Amino acid sequence: MLFMKPKLTLLCFLLLFGQLARGQMKTITGIVVDGGDNSALSGVSVLIKGTTQGTKTGTDGKFQLQTNVANAVLVFKFLGYETKELSVDNQSQISVQLHATENLMEEVVITGYGGAQSRRTVTSAISQVKAEEIANIPASSSDQLLQGRASGVQVSSNSGTPGGGVSVRIRGTSSINASSEPLYIIDGIPMQSNNLSGLSIGGGITNPMADINPADIESMEVLKDASATAIYGARAANGVVLITTKRGANKKAVINIGAYMGGQEITKKPGVVDGPSFEMLMNEVAENAGNPAPYSNPASALNTDWASPILRTGQLRNVDLSISGGGEKVRYMISGNNFLQEGIMKNSDFSRTTTRVNLDFTPIDKLNMGTSILYSHNSRKRLRNDDNISGGLEGTFFYPPNHGIYNEDGSYFKIPTFENPLAAINETTIGMLTNRFLGTVFAEYEFIPNLKLKSNFSFDYSNVAESVYDNSKTNNGSAVGGVAQRLGTNNSNWIQENVLSYRFTAAGHNLNALIGTTFQQSRTDVATSTGQGFPSDAFQEIVAAAVLRSSSTSTSYGIASFFSRVDYNYQSKYLFTMNLRRDGSSRFGSENKWGTFPSVGLGWVLSEESFMQNLGFLSTVKLRGSYGVTGNQSGINDFQSLGLWGGGAYADLAGIAPTQLANPNLKWETTNQLDLGIEFGLFKDRMHIDIDYYNKHTKDLLLAVSIPRTTGFDQLVQNFGEMRNRGVELGINADVLGPSSALKWDLGFNIATNKNRILKLAAPFNVYNRDIYRYEEGGEMFSFYLHPQTGVNPQTGAIEFEDVNGDGEFDVNNDRRIVGSANPDFFGGITNSFKWKGFDLSAFLQYTYGNDQLNWNRFFQEHGGTRSTNFSTSQLDRWQQPGDITMIPRMTADNYASDIRPSRFLEDGSYMRLKNITVGYSLPASFAKKIGMSTARVYVSGQNVFTITNYTGLDPELTGTASNTLTQGIEFYSMPQPRTFMAGVNLNF
Amino acid sequence: MVLLICTASSVLTACDGVLNQDPRNELSEGIAISDARSAQAAVAGLYNQLQGGNYYGRNFLIMSDVSSDQGQSIGTWDFYREMDTYQNSTGNTEIGYFYSRAYRTIYVANTILNLAPGVSDLTETQRSTMLGEAYFVRALAYFDLLRTFGGYPDVVGTLGFAPASQDERGQVTNPARLPLMESYAMVEADLLQAENLLPRSADRSRASKAAAQALLSRLYLYTRDFASCIRYADLVIDDGNYALNPSYTDIFATKLSTESVFELSFNNADQSGVRNWYFPTPQGGRGDLACHNSFVEKAQADANDIRGTLYAVEPSQGVYYPTKYNKTGNIDNIHVIRIAEMYLNRAEAKARSESDLAGALADLNLIRSRAGVSQLALTDAAALTEAIWAEQQLEFAFEGHSFFDLVRTEKIVERVQNVPRLNSPTTISFTDIERALFPIPLFEMNANSNMVQNPAYQ
Repeated sequence: MLFMKPKLTLLCFLLLFGQLARGQMKTITGIVVDGGDNSALSGVSVLIKGTTQGTKTGTDGKFQLQTNVANAVLVFKFLGYETKELSVDNQSQISVQLHATENLMEEVVITGYGGAQSRRTVTSAISQVKAEEIANIPASSSDQLLQGRASGVQVSSNSGTPGGGVSVRIRGTSSINASSEPLYIIDGIPMQSNNLSGLSIGGGITNPMADINPADIESMEVLKDASATAIYGARAANGVVLITTKRGANKKAVINIGAYMGGQEITKKPGVVDGPSFEMLMNEVAENAGNPAPYSNPASALNTDWASPILRTGQLRNVDLSISGGGEKVRYMISGNNFLQEGIMKNSDFSRTTTRVNLDFTPIDKLNMGTSILYSHNSRKRLRNDDNISGGLEGTFFYPPNHGIYNEDGSYFKIPTFENPLAAINETTIGMLTNRFLGTVFAEYEFIPNLKLKSNFSFDYSNVAESVYDNSKTNNGSAVGGVAQRLGTNNSNWIQENVLSYRFTAAGHNLNALIGTTFQQSRTDVATSTGQGFPSDAFQEIVAAAVLRSSSTSTSYGIASFFSRVDYNYQSKYLFTMNLRRDGSSRFGSENKWGTFPSVGLGWVLSEESFMQNLGFLSTVKLRGSYGVTGNQSGINDFQSLGLWGGGAYADLAGIAPTQLANPNLKWETTNQLDLGIEFGLFKDRMHIDIDYYNKHTKDLLLAVSIPRTTGFDQLVQNFGEMRNRGVELGINADVLGPSSALKWDLGFNIATNKNRILKLAAPFNVYNRDIYRYEEGGEMFSFYLHPQTGVNPQTGAIEFEDVNGDGEFDVNNDRRIVGSANPDFFGGITNSFKWKGFDLSAFLQYTYGNDQLNWNRFFQEHGGTRSTNFSTSQLDRWQQPGDITMIPRMTADNYASDIRPSRFLEDGSYMRLKNITVGYSLPASFAKKIGMSTARVYVSGQNVFTITNYTGLDPELTGTASNTLTQGIEFYSMPQPRTFMAGVNLNF
Repeated sequence: MVLLICTASSVLTACDGVLNQDPRNELSEGIAISDARSAQAAVAGLYNQLQGGNYYGRNFLIMSDVSSDQGQSIGTWDFYREMDTYQNSTGNTEIGYFYSRAYRTIYVANTILNLAPGVSDLTETQRSTMLGEAYFVRALAYFDLLRTFGGYPDVVGTLGFAPASQDERGQVTNPARLPLMESYAMVEADLLQAENLLPRSADRSRASKAAAQALLSRLYLYTRDFASCIRYADLVIDDGNYALNPSYTDIFATKLSTESVFELSFNNADQSGVRNWYFPTPQGGRGDLACHNSFVEKAQADANDIRGTLYAVEPSQGVYYPTKYNKTGNIDNIHVIRIAEMYLNRAEAKARSESDLAGALADLNLIRSRAGVSQLALTDAAALTEAIWAEQQLEFAFEGHSFFDLVRTEKIVERVQNVPRLNSPTTISFTDIERALFPIPLFEMNANSNMVQNPAYQ
């Protein structure tokens, strides 16, 4: 294999050293403990300086060493701790305290297949989010917690729907038709992270990441450049998020109890006019049209607040319980979690119950085994929201305020098309139950010192049961006597991996090499049934329905891979990493079954050079660069490369229909990424600065290329397009006042830019209804395609547009262009946390700047009288008399024609948000001990406390069309993110 | 060591296994059409193509009726608004969907024409019927493409359709449009083949000999071969399987009545969308389309006209919607060819050729009396022709005939003058006869270098 030769050479070296090192033998024994709590530290490397003689401490922290070196100096090294040197002199019994490092450069990061690695010797761009940063934040899923905390990672919640979808973009969006979401690896296992909901209830999606309990997470590392990600090959182009869960240690049992309770509420109510204003505006519409005013006395109009009856203060509740500890043979971490988040709209919630058992055991010497097992049960009550005319929130915008909720006979008042908001909330039941099992069993055997084989088998199974029931009082159900749908989705994945690794350290040469294989198979089965015509609204199960229908589908894919990596450094000064992965996939065409994904990373810790000493406050300088190739295969449907015929019945006759043409050349999308980084450690590494430049060039983008329809087909999915994402990231972490200060101040700051550009397309195309997004060469993703409105004629009140094609007149078909995009100029987050004595305070701000947000609600509410539905408050700013300067034209039908898409609805979506603020107090250790605890902390916190923005909609972060990956930055009747206040305790026993 | 061996062996077996996955929801063509049963399924699939929402299941009917003076778009969608106001863009999605669907239909027909001769366990009758059905459906799809995008002899258009190669099915080629008359000749040839191969049959939900003859009768009105039109209308009327339904409303209330020569079947699993688009929300539809009030006035001008009862009012917007297709669950069948059309075709051909005015009047009055309106007594050929054309509009209202008939008869400019629309302050008028042809979709212009756009959109 590739690395055999250097490895053999190094083995020879090792043997040679062994031959030389002989002489008078002396035995040294000792113990190494944690300087903080005096607990034994196992696995600490104990080396005799200047030799290769050494050992490691056992699980009791003790070590024993024989040496013939006179005046030996022992070097104690342990990841995450300060290295200590100690002269043995004549002692034979040594006890050593190691202090946890305050040095940010010595932090440990997790790498793909590589385990923990010192940040100093890493050649790649990796951002880390640690457990303490994300603890006690009431997010239903862990991916939300990445928001603002890792540079270059743009996270946006599609809505405030409990357990709803989250969009995560690492270094931009790199695909058009494939997913641009990262690959999630939990404890080494690629996890199923696609939306498994099969219901069509609007633009929103559900988030399978919510199956995981965030409190179980030890750290999340975001792998960004090719040097870090290429080992995940054909699925790594969007970056990789490694999630590591907590495990037991050789320590006495620690019991952890965390609980919080709180409430959440809407930050801003739908901005629609009240009853009197509605009638006043409608009268003006009639007047402008030369018609008699429909309302005689607007001032006395009925005023129904449609929003309040469907909104509420939602409850928030979380209990975490864990116990971890262990002995020499067995270590354990067992946890339980119960989480409830009620939506700010009635009848919506998300609740989760999980248990996790992480075990490690050492049954015989050299053999380590273990399991990581998660069982998660969660339940969602969902609502039709986002782009859905039957949605409750949508109704609150449309329903006229001058009419009551109910008719005189007690039935719901209804206008055409849109559902009565209360009926939408009360007469429809939408449920989703998920049972998930995610388990791994592994065994690791050390053949000779540092040569290990690790094998694991994992199973990731989700069972999703969904139901929708619209009773006879709803628009959907009224004509048919109630309609119900049931959907059962089973997704099962097995993964088998084997990794052979070898670690070698001698005379400043540090080598870590591995080769491995992984196989995965995934299968999804869906059964659907619908029923309509129920005997009464009390019957909800389909068995009672008059008309029944059902269907089932099944699909699968498999991936086989081989991979290898070499990490080498000399004196932790010159760093080198090389990855190589070969991926085969059942999805690829027969002509392209296997792909190769290599990467190289180089690093140079300049500050280790003699000529770079004495730099004053600059304690560390590191340069690194990487280049590599990764792929994205998510855009290929399971059997996309084959020519297929599917079912196509004609009434009661079974029939078939052609569904796709074959493309045997079909393959993954390829991303070539260059990353150049520089890292600085300042003030004895109390401050750490990371700057990265990257250029991601994606080619072979999967596009459904239009072919002549005379073939009988619309398009053939081909590897055709090209796209580029370029950007700069800056991350700063600082222990501002230093370890000796009584007041501790940790500062985290990150900012990133990303410039996206579509380099090659088969043909420009428009997306989403009313064609509001446009994709064209030279353009960027999520570009809004509207009629650029220049203003309103101050004399006539007529709407005025740019004459895009310069033909002297405005027409809807030709005077439309791209007027902005949802991509920000820059984005990031700022964290400040303070600790003083028992008190702690942390504030986390998250921001994005320069992105456009389409307030699409205004398109329907600023209708100028062309609809009979309610107006947005912005309608009040309409032109009324000569001289008025406004963007809202006179209320006449031609100013509000249904075929114009005025650009005034596209607003500045920049915002800065106080995402989290927490104030806590920990009882003094002595007092805690008295009541039987090791630590006890109480805290209060708030989320989304305030948002600074010019955006006029409910929430600048919304994407109401998440189920369409080509749309972003559009508010479309989505539930906004709530403001949350809560109080909690953390207890340790 | 044991671990190592286990690992090595599991690697070797797993690699092969995981990469070989077979589709289950769908099958590759070779497996999908392999014997008599699967070939029959392919034929059912042929009708399924016609049934689709982009074709007879909804869109094709609406395209015609919204483009005439009958229907209007009252929603916010661009595509039907463009048709309603004669501002069709080359990017109009629904026009594109119809275009694609028609060629998909032709692809399936070509597949059957190619493969059916080689399926060994078919009886000869089965085989010839199957081939006849494929010829019929291919002819229908080409004919519909022709009157939508190609042209009408002596009225508008010089180019027909671009033919899909039967022998190189699915291969990416760039065919050019055939001359208009050559295209009509191709449709005629397919229909004559179908007539020859198909048996007489009372199964109205599938193509039969009479269905092929009826479509030929319609085709000859377009090509103004009136003698052939009369001859084929006669053949269908005399076939014996078809008769005017005594109750006009019963044609739509029931399914597959004797009225139908060719009617597409729909059910709960296979729904038609016409009702959904016209019916207002409280009635369970989406209410994006409505009738032009001016047309409903014409339809209800004669209080005795039973056909005028098939409209309902939507009070909140003050518009009417058609109720021919009104079944809850959108399970209405769609009528492609009714026997009434044969009477009116024959009447029109007789009147325009002035060969048998009395016969023409008799056919016209047959249709009128069934609708409950008074008999006419016209003797002037021109006036009689006008009366027949007016009757066609009322008889087949909202069945997808209106626009094509108005263009074919050159009545479109006269009929569509200052028609008020709910969604616009101004009325609409049809002025440019080149706009009678829909634009070749932009995607086709981009994909096929030999494609030529219609003059109105160049």
